[in-house]
Amino acid sequence: MSRRLFWLLPLALLPVPLLLNPYQQYVLNTALLYVPVGIGFNLVVGNLGLLAFSNVAYFGLGAYTSGVMMVQLGMPWWLTVIPAALVGGIGGAIASIPALRGVRLFYLAIMTLAFGELMRWTYIRWEALTGGSMGMAVPTATLFGWALDTDRRRFYAFLALVVLLVAITDRLLRSRFGRAFLAIKDNEIAAAAMGIPTDRYIVLAFAWGGAVVGVGGAMFAISVGHLTPVSFDLTELIRQFAIIMVGGLASLTGAIIGAVIVTVAPQVFISFPGFDELVFGLLIVLVILFLPRGLASLLARVHPAFVERYYRG
Amino acid sequence: MLALLPQLVVSGTSTGMLYALIALSMTVVYRATTVVNFGHGDMVAAGAYAVFVFGLGFGLPFLVAMALAIALLFAAGFAAQRMLLQPIVAGPHLSLAMMALAIGYTLRGALRLQWGNETINPSRPYPQDVYLFGNVVVTTDDAVICGSVLLLLAALFLLLQVTPLGKVIQATFQSQRGAALVGINVPLFHALMWGGGAALGALGGVMLSLITPLTPDLGQWTLVQGFAAMTLGGFGSLGGAVAGGILLGITEKLLGFYVNTVFIEITGYLVPILVLMLRPQGLFGRRAVVRV
Repeated sequence: MSRRLFWLLPLALLPVPLLLNPYQQYVLNTALLYVPVGIGFNLVVGNLGLLAFSNVAYFGLGAYTSGVMMVQLGMPWWLTVIPAALVGGIGGAIASIPALRGVRLFYLAIMTLAFGELMRWTYIRWEALTGGSMGMAVPTATLFGWALDTDRRRFYAFLALVVLLVAITDRLLRSRFGRAFLAIKDNEIAAAAMGIPTDRYIVLAFAWGGAVVGVGGAMFAISVGHLTPVSFDLTELIRQFAIIMVGGLASLTGAIIGAVIVTVAPQVFISFPGFDELVFGLLIVLVILFLPRGLASLLARVHPAFVERYYRG
Repeated sequence: MLALLPQLVVSGTSTGMLYALIALSMTVVYRATTVVNFGHGDMVAAGAYAVFVFGLGFGLPFLVAMALAIALLFAAGFAAQRMLLQPIVAGPHLSLAMMALAIGYTLRGALRLQWGNETINPSRPYPQDVYLFGNVVVTTDDAVICGSVLLLLAALFLLLQVTPLGKVIQATFQSQRGAALVGINVPLFHALMWGGGAALGALGGVMLSLITPLTPDLGQWTLVQGFAAMTLGGFGSLGGAVAGGILLGITEKLLGFYVNTVFIEITGYLVPILVLMLRPQGLFGRRAVVRV
């Protein structure tokens, strides 16, 4: 997305809450918090091209870090955002260990899948902190003493955070880091032969991706107000996969489009359990068959302003 | 404590046979197409549900219901490969993995849409009984599972070693291009193996429904256990899948009893992580060497 457009979008969103009822506002907030989740996921799967299936683990780590710190330590929400990012980032760095040892493709997918499930099991079993399968209530968030007790108030806090995360990740992808990611994705051995320290960049992508997703988790914690391990199972994984596949791999615009679609589409059928899985599954099948670069590529075809130019100067 | 060891091994073997069957059905697809079917767990679950529907819903006798379910899953696997995977077979690994995953999720969503999140306990087609050998208890379930899996393994072994079809399968497992050069229809073979894998998985699902209640989420657990068995035995090795499955079943029970009950739940998660970190080729696999 071109620079000017990037700043126009949040500006255009500023007055939107005035038009929405509380329910619509909640849906918009959810879409907003899934933007960093998609961006972090896309960084590893789209930009780096590694099959890492552990995104839900970072999401859960961020959400539980934020929730547990608020409950156990009585900290205000805004103070828990950075720890949530840190813990998510550490989760990402841990998940990158097999990748550093040369585990690739399906093997990496299986290991990271097992890692994510192991984390979910930890939330269930560590009852003293997480409340086990019954879950834990998250207290009302505050931002510098200002209570974020309505969805409209949370919206502005979320918007600010998301803009910050998108801006930093955008910078990252435009820098030599982004070019290194592309080189690794295209041919890892050639990249290493050219002197790119591939291991360092892989850890960086995983850790930054995990941190961004962790912040998304912290937003999720106060948005839903009640954390249960079920929120971080394999159904959540397909939701997050749908974000990046339907939106478009390796595309920031794609993550934004994907987050909106994946959040809004199932609202229509919310009273039918299972329908979201069916819809996401079919959406991914259709996108892979007919639109492999996702909806972002469609948008780029409509107007050149939407073309993402990261690698040409 | 040690007096219980034979009992744990026996019941572990029974569960392990089940894992072996599931791991084997995943290995068949992997070896034939070099695609790991991330939706396989849900195909197993769909097979179990299909038997339930044909048996209880339509009132058919158990064996007929089972045969119909296996045929249905074969057709589903065949069609999925033909219509959804063949068009992107030359594409990146990520697309193939995602396609398989998405097929699985679509199946799971369909199951949940129909049955919600409630659990179903299908009735056994035979009276449950226990037999005592010394102080080792063997249930009819154990006997049925072990017996059927052993029978199936023998049949598969004969199929692979003796029949002409077995020769085709072995040839294609060894080299896809070589098989194509000698006139084997490789795309058709892929579709058949997807069907075969799904049918084997459905059989696993039927046996799974003997020992565990059915929920739409059965596939998640099945997939992870299948992967654990596959990696333990050596990814892509048919014998390894069987050995890995049985070993996984026994390990799970032993760790769960002698160390901590939590291991019954998490052995399946730990095994793929540990094996791939410490000995990526598994117990019986060959070390992959990549030419640059």
